[in-house]
Order: sequence, then C-alpha cells, then structure tokens
Amino acid sequence: MQIQYKPKRTWLATIFQVEILQGMALTLRRLFSKPITRQYPEEKPRIKTGFRGQHALVRDPQTDLTKFVGCMRCAMVCPSRCIRIRSHKAKEPGSPRLIDDYRIDALRCVYCGYCEEVCPVNAIVLTEVFEYAAYDRQSIFFNMEQLLTNWDRFAAQMDQPVADYVNPFWRPRGLAEHTLPVGKRIPVTPEWSGEQQVVGRLWRQHQTGQADKGEIDV
Amino acid sequence: MHIVILLAEIIVLFALVMLHVAYATYFERKIIGHMQVRLGPMRVGWHGLLQPIADGIKSFFKEDIIPSGADRPTFVAAPIICLVAMLTSLAVLPFAKGWVLADINIGLLFIFAMSSLASYGVVLAGWASNSKFSFLGGLRSMAQVISYEIAMGLSLVGVMLLSGSLNLSRIVEAQGNSILGMYLLPQCLGFFVFFISMLAETNRVPFDLPEAETELVSGYCTEYSGMRYAIFFMAEYIGMMVMASIGTICFLGGWNGPFAVPFFPPLWFILKIYLFLFLFIWIRATLPRYRYDQLMDLGWKLLIPLALGNLVLTACLKAILG
Repeated sequence: MQIQYKPKRTWLATIFQVEILQGMALTLRRLFSKPITRQYPEEKPRIKTGFRGQHALVRDPQTDLTKFVGCMRCAMVCPSRCIRIRSHKAKEPGSPRLIDDYRIDALRCVYCGYCEEVCPVNAIVLTEVFEYAAYDRQSIFFNMEQLLTNWDRFAAQMDQPVADYVNPFWRPRGLAEHTLPVGKRIPVTPEWSGEQQVVGRLWRQHQTGQADKGEIDV
Repeated sequence: MHIVILLAEIIVLFALVMLHVAYATYFERKIIGHMQVRLGPMRVGWHGLLQPIADGIKSFFKEDIIPSGADRPTFVAAPIICLVAMLTSLAVLPFAKGWVLADINIGLLFIFAMSSLASYGVVLAGWASNSKFSFLGGLRSMAQVISYEIAMGLSLVGVMLLSGSLNLSRIVEAQGNSILGMYLLPQCLGFFVFFISMLAETNRVPFDLPEAETELVSGYCTEYSGMRYAIFFMAEYIGMMVMASIGTICFLGGWNGPFAVPFFPPLWFILKIYLFLFLFIWIRATLPRYRYDQLMDLGWKLLIPLALGNLVLTACLKAILG
C-alpha cells in the first residue's frame, strides 16, 4: 500500500504560514456564502416521502373506526415495546375480536416504522406530522381516541383525497407481490419498491444524475 | 469646573465603550455565524440587533453563585480587578488629536502595566474559585503572561526608538499621515511579534488556553455566574479594544487617514480598531487552539529572539541613517 503524505513544507511556506492563510481564505469565502440555516417556525422544512412522524390509526371510512383487527403483530415487532393493546372476543363462536384499547407511548417510540410495515390491514401509520411537542406527558401517551384524532388532523391538512393516501411503508420493500398479504399489495412510487429502490449513496447518485438531465433542480 | 468636564468626559467614554462592548459581542457572533454558514442571532429585534441588550439584562438578573469553598474576598475582587485595569487603560488612548482623557508621557508603559494587572484578575479568579478547572486556567494564564509580555514589550521598543517617545499622541504624530509614514512597514517584524502576543495577551483564540472550553470547561471563570461572569467578558472585550488601539496607534498611524473627516476626527481610528477586531474574530473562526507547550515554544524560542533582533536592527539603522 502506498501512503500519500503531504509534501514537506518549504521554508518560505513556514515563514509566511501559508496553511494558516489558506484557512483564513476559506473562512473569508464562507463569510460571503449563503447560510444554510432555516428560520424554523416561519420556514418549515420540506417533508420527503417516507418521513416517519406522529403516530395515527387510520380511520376506516366504512365503519368510522379503526381498521385494526387485533392480530398483535405491531406489538410483537415493536423493538421498544411501546405499543399496548387490549382486546376481547365475545363468547359466541365466529364473533369478531373487539378492541378495548390501543396505546402508543410516543416517548418510548424509536420511529422505526416496523409497525406500519408489518400491519396486514394498514391500520397504523407514522404520519408526516412532526410538530406535536406538549407540556405534559399525558398528551404524548396516545390512546385509541387520540390516535384516531391524529389521523383526522393529518387527513384534514392533506392536499389529496384521503382515500388515495398511501404511506410508502405500508408496502414492505424487497418482497415479491405474492408473498404479501392482500391489503399490502398496493401501488407505491417505483423508487420505494424492489429493484428501483435507491437509498444512501445510490440515492445521491440518482439525484445528481437526474439533476444533470435537468429533471430535478437541486 | 475642570473636574466636572473631566467627569462628564469619563462618563461619556465609559458609556460609549460599554455600548461598544455590547455590540462587539454581536459583531463577533454574527461574523462567526456567517463564517460557519449559519446566521448568528436572529430573534431579538431585527436580525438580532437587540440581542446584546437582552444578554445584558439576563446576566443582571441571573443568580449570583459563590462556591462555599471559595476564597470570598478574592473571588469577588477578581473580576473587578480585571475590569478596572482594562477600563483604566482607556484613559490614555488618543482617539483623535486632543481627544484623550489623560495625555501622559508614559502612555505606552501605563498600558502595559494595566494589561498585566488585568491578568492578575484572571490568576486570582483561578486561585479563589477552589475548582480544579479554574485553577488550571489561572496557572495557564500566568505562564502565558510571562512568556508573552516580554515579547510584546520588546516588539514595541522598536516603535519607541523610531518615534523617540512613550506618549501615545506623539507616537501618532511622529508617523505623519501618509501610508509610508506608518510604522507598519519599517517595523513589520515588530508588528508580527506584536500581533501574535496581542492575541495571547487578550486570551483570544488560538491562545485562549486560560479559558479553553473544550478542556477546562470555561477555565478561570468556570465558577462565576451572572454579573461577575459578564464582567470578565466585558474586561476581555475592552482588552481586545485596548490592544487593537495600541496596534493602531503604534503601527497603523492612529487617527490619521487618507483625508481628514470634518466633524468626527476619530473616524479613521475607529475604523482601524474595527479592522483589528475583525481580524481577531476572523482568526477565532479559523484556527484551532495551540497546545500548551507549543505556546511556550512560540513565545520563548521564536517571538522573543525575533523581537530582540528587530530591536537591534532598528537601533542600528536609526544610528546609521538618523
């Protein structure tokens, strides 16, 4: 392996401290560059697809209740164990499972999005809402009513019809169509599913490639 | 009557300098912010213009804590020593022709004395706080003062030789009002040494070892809070201003400029001071801190021989040419 050292300083460079002067020139150039600060409450950040924010339970337009079926997968998969579910079933055979309560402790949540990925009926979603700080803990321990209200609030500020909303996490990535439950065979944007999915370094290359073609202004 | 006028002048100068100190912090935060591609203070007032006032009010109403193990009288006295020493040296600065509170003949010497006295405040603060961080900060300050005062004094002896005076107004007059008259060119070595020791004297980056916040929390002022802490900062900023004035007076031709300003003679002086302050801030935004032994090396092995060489050279040239 060849190690490339910096060339040794000449005596002239030592006397005039060229490296310090280079540094000073750099900071001076930065002084006249445009700051990247976003003045937050006035200027909101642009939320990109796949943002994982406040939790919500999707309100089913038919029943006006949650789509939740009580399969408990979300509670099982949750790495921080912040989902608590209580449900019961009536004695008669064939009766549906009834949900007593569904709680999410948002203070413990790590926003991994596993719950929405695993849910077979797309009942739970991490919405794009991120401003929900509160002064008391009680309003961040979401119970079922709060989670439904969260959805209503999110739906109210959506610019498309609620029925058309698809969270990209509802379709787990890298799985073949036939392996998915029926509810999860939904179309998402191509870059989120399978082969075209680009993340990290590939995403940046993808972006600059598109910028070169003039399709996206970065 | 004379005393009343003098008092009024002192009050005006004090108020202006305090205003300057307040806005120097703003200036610094803004410039460093933009150099780091941030915005700096933006919230209080238009573009954060009232930020220094908000800071001042805040530090007035903060709780004043004195650690129980601290040496109380020394702890209380230390910031005051710093501030008083720095404020006193303002008295001999000539802001323009005749715009000086005390036109004494040992002006330069007086300023040296006062700036060394100010570092006593730092040392005492480190000693009195009964905290390891403060103590180390105080020790470092002491070592730093010893290594830099000498180089600084020697670097200015060249200026004394050329002008033949210690009186600051006369030093300015000796330089005349042309660019060539400035001592910056004949004393470029002296200016180099002076500039570096000026950074060390005012405890600024890259020589901010006494309050190295990455190693010593806040160095000598770790245990200080509220107004006393603010006083240390006032002293630091006034110190910067005094040192910038000395640099302006001794090397950049003081209040002389390309043309005389009719109603506000100190304009050039103030512009030059702000040039120095910008340099201070610019350096702070760029350079990392020197290591302790590197600082000693630089002081004893480079700056003092350089200053001595400059002194001998100046004296010889003056004897041959003049």
